Amino acid sequence: MIKRVAIVGIGTTGFRPITPDVSYRELIFEAARKAYTDAGIEPSEIGGFITAAEDFLEGYSICDEYCPDQIGAVLKPTQTIPGDFIQALATGYMMIMTGAFKTVAIEAHSKASNVKNIDELMGFAFDPVYNRPLRETPHAIAGLEMTRYMFETCTSAEQCARVVVKNKGNAMRNPYAAFGADIAEKDVLNSDPISLPLHRLDIAPHADGAVVAVLADGETALALSETPIWIEGLGWCTDTPTLEMRDWGEAAYARLAAEMAYKMAGIANPAGMIDFAEINDEYSFKELQHMEALKLCRPGEAGHLLESGATSYAGDIPINVSGGALGVGHLFEASGAHKILELVEQLRGEAGARQIPDVNIGLAQVWRGVPTATGAVAILSNM
Amino acid sequence: MATTEKMSKTTTPTHWDADIPVNYVYTYGLAGEAFFRAIKDRGTFLGTRCDACDITYVPPKAYCDRCLEALDKYIDVGTVGYVDTFTVSFKNMDGSEKPRPRILAMIKIEGTDGGIIHYLDGISIEEVALGLPVQAIFKPKAQRKGGIEDIIGFGPVKR
Ligand SMILES: [Zn+2]
Repeated sequence: MIKRVAIVGIGTTGFRPITPDVSYRELIFEAARKAYTDAGIEPSEIGGFITAAEDFLEGYSICDEYCPDQIGAVLKPTQTIPGDFIQALATGYMMIMTGAFKTVAIEAHSKASNVKNIDELMGFAFDPVYNRPLRETPHAIAGLEMTRYMFETCTSAEQCARVVVKNKGNAMRNPYAAFGADIAEKDVLNSDPISLPLHRLDIAPHADGAVVAVLADGETALALSETPIWIEGLGWCTDTPTLEMRDWGEAAYARLAAEMAYKMAGIANPAGMIDFAEINDEYSFKELQHMEALKLCRPGEAGHLLESGATSYAGDIPINVSGGALGVGHLFEASGAHKILELVEQLRGEAGARQIPDVNIGLAQVWRGVPTATGAVAILSNM
Repeated sequence: MATTEKMSKTTTPTHWDADIPVNYVYTYGLAGEAFFRAIKDRGTFLGTRCDACDITYVPPKAYCDRCLEALDKYIDVGTVGYVDTFTVSFKNMDGSEKPRPRILAMIKIEGTDGGIIHYLDGISIEEVALGLPVQAIFKPKAQRKGGIEDIIGFGPVKR
């Protein structure tokens, strides 16, 4: 009986606004080589492979077929999960728990700069009959959510802007991040109105990059690694696709995914147990809304916690010390991969200038973006 | 970098331009057809109700997404609702500025659990608020085609 699964290797290209010199498959190749070197394993020794990718983001039909070669998975058990990296991580975890695989490699990437009109692409995800004919951008749907969230929780536009200031500031300590900047709240509030209350700087810009992680069962992990990072909890959940039937103020997908992960990890008091978290901040208000959904604070408290400094780099519960999507860049289905990368580096004590002292348990949470209501949560520990 | 040769000139060939030349039809389905027929012919909204779950679906669904019972009784839910949330939209899909900002709103239809996402019409940014009662404004009957664009928007409730 397999008891535990650990991440024993991880590799990344880092994240940049554009990567005109390499193809997305070469980005993945670089991350894979680094991950296998980090794990001290040859790709031929890896039992199974999973890619997290979505056809339309890739610009390919059946993009699954274009994944094996650059990760060493040719003629090996391989599959694609059309979801976030954390959903692929859950599948890899289950593959190892069956006992049929000792090691599984998980890959996710973003080559957002290949897509010339990302708003059109995300708009194509809207219901074609009820929503798409209005030709509104995905940011308009986020604007609807933001208004309702702010109303229900008495959160201010200034508090949302402060999320951007914090995360872009954190990104300046992160060599992987593409969008670090030293800005003030007024810069956010004075930036171009996109879909009010959303301004341009409230929205995470896209970035390119790839991450590969190697999972192993407990026994293999202890043989391969001196610092295995253990997967303690996983959860994922999807709300109705019908925008008209949703609760616009609350991120139920995040609350339920977190409840599943907390139960698996045996965590009854998340605010007391989680040392730090990387959570979805694709839009500024989402960080606050997600903190509440994850029960890191009560509804309406997230903005105040932010203002108190508790979620900053040196605070009690640092949130998005990496810079989050606002500072690192929005990475499509690799969004969760970047968060897991940050957790692994922090829990190994390898996070350099942004290392948080004495951390043992980290939480990563993703949302698949507008118009989805899909969320996933992973809890990792170094003990 | 994955390769040892780095790009040093921005004029070297670096990419191939492409698009996706694919076209679709999206069938309305049973519930969608009933909904758009009621808009086109009668200028009203239909919903379906699951009594067991106490949920009224607008737009209607042919099934309850909680208990998965088939729903085939359509009820006229009227055209009056209230602003559940709103946003002031400035941009077109291509990133260009709209000629004028539009107020996009989620309108909860009275007495239901759903509604319509559409524009506010005849209501200014200063007037709009959560909870504001509104009523659907339809195109003249002869111009309606049976689609969401048969709705011009939502304006003040006529008394
Ligand atoms: Zn039901």
